[in-house]
Amino acid sequence: MTKALILNESTEQGILDFLKNLLETRQVRGILTLKKINKNNDVAYSIITDVKELNDAVPFYPLMPVNAGKLLSRFTFRGGPSDPIIAVVKPCELRGFVELIKREQGCFDNLFIISFTCGGVFPQQMSVEKTVEKNLNKYWDSVKKAEISDNIRPACKGCEEFIPYNSDFTVDLIGRNDLDKQSIILINNEKGAELTKNMKGKFSEESLNKEKLEKFRNKREIEKKKLFKEIDEKIKDIDGLIDVFGRCIGCHGCMRVCPICYCNLCEFESSDSEYKPSNYESDLKKRGGIRVPPGTVYYHLGRLSHIGISCVACGLCEDVCPVDIPISIIFKKIGESVQKVFDYIPGKNIDEDIPLMTFEKEELLEFED
Amino acid sequence: MSKPENSIKKNGAILPAKPNLRDAIINLLENSIDKGIFDAILIPMKVPKGDSYVYVLIKDKSLLKDSIPLPPVMAVQGAKAVSSITRLGKGNIKIAAIMRPCEIRATNELSKFSQLDLENITLISIDCPGVIPISDFINDPIKNLKIFDESAEKWDYKPMRPVCQICDKSSMVAGDIHIGILGAKKDTFFIIPNSQKGIDLLDKLEISAKENIDNWKNKIKTISDEKNRKRKKVLKELKSEIGGIDNLTNALGQCINCHNCMSVCPICFCRLCYFDSEKVKHIAEDYLDRADIKGSLRFLPDTTLFHMGRMIHMSMSCVSCGACEDACPVSIPIAQIFSMMADETQGLFDYVSGRSLDEPRPLVTYKEDELHEVEDTND
Amino acid sequence: MNKEDDSMPKILAFLCNWCSYAGADLAGTSRIKYPPSIMPLRVMCSSRVDPLFIIKAYLGGADGVLVAGCHPGDCHYEKGNYYTRRRFAMLKKIFDELGLESDRLLLSWVSASEGHKYANVARDFTEKIKKSGKNPAKKKIFL
Repeated sequence: MTKALILNESTEQGILDFLKNLLETRQVRGILTLKKINKNNDVAYSIITDVKELNDAVPFYPLMPVNAGKLLSRFTFRGGPSDPIIAVVKPCELRGFVELIKREQGCFDNLFIISFTCGGVFPQQMSVEKTVEKNLNKYWDSVKKAEISDNIRPACKGCEEFIPYNSDFTVDLIGRNDLDKQSIILINNEKGAELTKNMKGKFSEESLNKEKLEKFRNKREIEKKKLFKEIDEKIKDIDGLIDVFGRCIGCHGCMRVCPICYCNLCEFESSDSEYKPSNYESDLKKRGGIRVPPGTVYYHLGRLSHIGISCVACGLCEDVCPVDIPISIIFKKIGESVQKVFDYIPGKNIDEDIPLMTFEKEELLEFED
Repeated sequence: MSKPENSIKKNGAILPAKPNLRDAIINLLENSIDKGIFDAILIPMKVPKGDSYVYVLIKDKSLLKDSIPLPPVMAVQGAKAVSSITRLGKGNIKIAAIMRPCEIRATNELSKFSQLDLENITLISIDCPGVIPISDFINDPIKNLKIFDESAEKWDYKPMRPVCQICDKSSMVAGDIHIGILGAKKDTFFIIPNSQKGIDLLDKLEISAKENIDNWKNKIKTISDEKNRKRKKVLKELKSEIGGIDNLTNALGQCINCHNCMSVCPICFCRLCYFDSEKVKHIAEDYLDRADIKGSLRFLPDTTLFHMGRMIHMSMSCVSCGACEDACPVSIPIAQIFSMMADETQGLFDYVSGRSLDEPRPLVTYKEDELHEVEDTND
Repeated sequence: MNKEDDSMPKILAFLCNWCSYAGADLAGTSRIKYPPSIMPLRVMCSSRVDPLFIIKAYLGGADGVLVAGCHPGDCHYEKGNYYTRRRFAMLKKIFDELGLESDRLLLSWVSASEGHKYANVARDFTEKIKKSGKNPAKKKIFL
C-alpha cells in the first residue's frame, strides 16, 4: 500500500492539473512530457516552463518518437538542473535512463519522475501516416480492458516490464475502466510526498492491482513467445543471420536512437572498424568476393555484445529501420537470454551493478573448459 | 582524370547487346578480368534472400554471373562503397566500378575531399532509369523487380524515387567510360570513353571507338530536357510548400533526429558529425533558459538547425541521389528539399557537383572580383 | 611446413602473458606434441580480450577461438579473469541463441607451469573442431 492522490477528474486531466499545480507553485521549473508541437499536431517531447503551453501536453500519448531516457541523460549528464523539473516517461524509458545512470551518463538530481503502467506505443509510421488519432479510442479501450492492442510496436506487444521501477509517482492505466472518471496518482516515496503535501485532492492508501497486472503480464508473455518463435525460425545459423541482415543499409539508425548506445563515436564508425585496402585484398583471396562496405553482421553482433546486457526492448531500433528488419525482437530475445545468465533486469535496481562490471569469485563454471 | 564537357566523348563503340544487355556487359567485365585489365569488379549483387541488392567487390569471375549493373534499388550509395575500399590508400589491385551517374559524381566529389583514391579505379557509368525507394521494394521484392524492369524498359520514372523522377542528369558522363542504352538501335548499346583511362580500357579490350554517337546524344538530350521541365515545375511547387520558417519547421515536424539522412549521404563523410558532437550537447540550464523564451522547447531542440547546417556543409556537393529520403523513417521529402537547394547553391557558381575532377569545389577557390551582388553597396 | 594442410583447423588462441602464454611456451620447450592448429596471440591479460575480437575472428573464418588465462584467483592483475569469464559467458549465450556454433569458442585456465595441460587443451579442442568441420563463415560474401 502506498499513499495516493485522488482527483475527481479523468486521469488525463488529473495529470495535467497535477503538473499545472507544480509549475504554478514554482515547485518545479519545468516539465518534460509529450506535447503537440505544431498545427499539424505532430507530437514530440518538450520541456515546458510556461503553464499556458501545458494545454497542448499529452503525457500518456501512445507514441515514442525518441526514448525519453536518452533525453533525460542528455539533460542531466553534466549534472542535474539547479531547479527541479518533473518528467512523464514510460517504464522502458525510465529503465533506459537508469541503465545510463549506471554508466555515468546522467543522474536523478533535482529530477521528479512520473511513470505509468504502459499499454505500449504505436510505431512512428502511424504518426507519419496520420492514423494515430483515429486509432486512439480503440487503443484506450484495449488499455481499459487490459488487452493487448493489435497495432502497437512488436516490442510492446511482448513487453512484460510494463510496471515502472524507480518512479516517484506511478499512474496505473492498465485495466482501469474508470480512467475517464478519476485520477489516481500513486506516491512512491518521501520525495514525492514532500512535493504533493499541499495539493488539493483526496489522499488515501492505494496500490497497484497486482492480480490484474499479473493476468496482463501473462497475455504479454504469450505474445512474446510468439514473436521469439518467429525469430527462432528465421535465425537458425549463420545463413539465417545473413538473410535477416541482408537488406541492412548500414545507416546505424538503430544505434543512434538506442537509449543505451551513448558513445560519442561508435566503435563501428571509428577507425577501429575501417577496412584497409590490404584487408580487402586478403578477403578477396579467401572468399573471392566481399560485400562493400563490409561488416554488416559484425556490426549487429558487436552491438549485441556491447548493449545486449542492458537492452530495455523499447523498440525504437525497429521503428527507425528504413528496411523493416525485426531488430527490436532480435535484440530483445538475445538481450533477455544474456540478462538471464546473470539474473538481471536492466533498469530495475539502480544499486545493482551492470553484470559485466562486476563478478563473483565462483560462478559460471558451466562456461569454462 | 576526366575533362569537362564534350572534349572526349565525340565517338564511341556500338556493341551487340547479346544475349541481352546485362549479359553483354557482364561478358565485357569477365573479359577484362581474363585479360588481366582488372583484378576485381565493384558491382551490385542480389543478397541471398533476394530482398535487396548490395555492392560486392568481386575477384572470382564466377560470381559475376549473379551480379547486375542496374539493380532496382540503391541500398548503399556507390560512392560510399568506393570510399570504403580506397579511403586509406589506393591499394594494389585494379578495380572497375560500375555505378549510376549520381554515384559516379559523388565519387568524384569525394575524391576532391581526399576521401578516396581513384588511381587504381576505373569508373564505369550507365544511363540510369532511376531506382525504386527501398521501403517500397522490400514490401514485395518480386513484384517490384518486375515493376522496375518494365518501367526501365519504357524509361518511365513513375515508380522511382521522387528525386529520380525529376533528375535531369541521369545520363551525365563523369566517369572514365559510359554505357549508353538510350538511342541505341535494337539489341545494341554504346560504349563511350570519357578519359584517357576509358580510351586505354577500350584499347586493351580491342574495341574500336570510332562510331558516331549522335543518336545517343540526341536521345539523352531530349530526355534530359523533358526531365528538366518537370524538375522546374516540381521544385517550384516544393519551394512554395516549404518556404518560410513556419512551413519549413512544419515540413520537418516529424523529424526524430535519427540522423539517418546524414549517415547514408555519400558527401557526409565526417567520422563524427558536428551535430553529434559535444558542441551541441549543452547543460540543463541552457535548455531551461531556452524553454523560457517561448514557454516550451521541443526536446531535443535544433532539428531545423541540423538540416540547415547539413545543407550548408554539403549542398555544394549534393548529387541529388535521394539516399537520404530512402533512409528517412518518417518520410520527410528531404532529398527533394536538398536537391532544390543544391540547384541554387551550385548554380551560384555554375558548378555541377562531380561533373569533372578538374573543377575545384567552389568554396575552396575564389576570384578576386566576383559576387559583388552579395556585398553591401554602401560606399 | 609451407604447404597449407587443408584439414588442419585454424584456431586463434588469446593467451595471457603471465600464465597461459608461459604455459604454452613450457609445452614447447618440453617438446610436448600437439597439433599445429593453434595460432597464438599474446595479450597481457585475458580480460584484454574484447568480445569483438572473438566475433571478428569467428566471422573472419577462424575454425575455433580459444581464450586462455590464469586460474580465477591467480590473475596477475588480481581480477581480470573474473571479467573475462563474465564476458565469455555472455558471448557464448549470444552465439547459442543465434545458432552460431558456440562450441567453436572455448575458455580455459592454464597456468605458467601447466605445459601438459596446455597441450591437452590444444589437442582436445582441435579434435572437437575437426569434428565440427570448417567454419562456414569462411566463404561467406555477404557478411
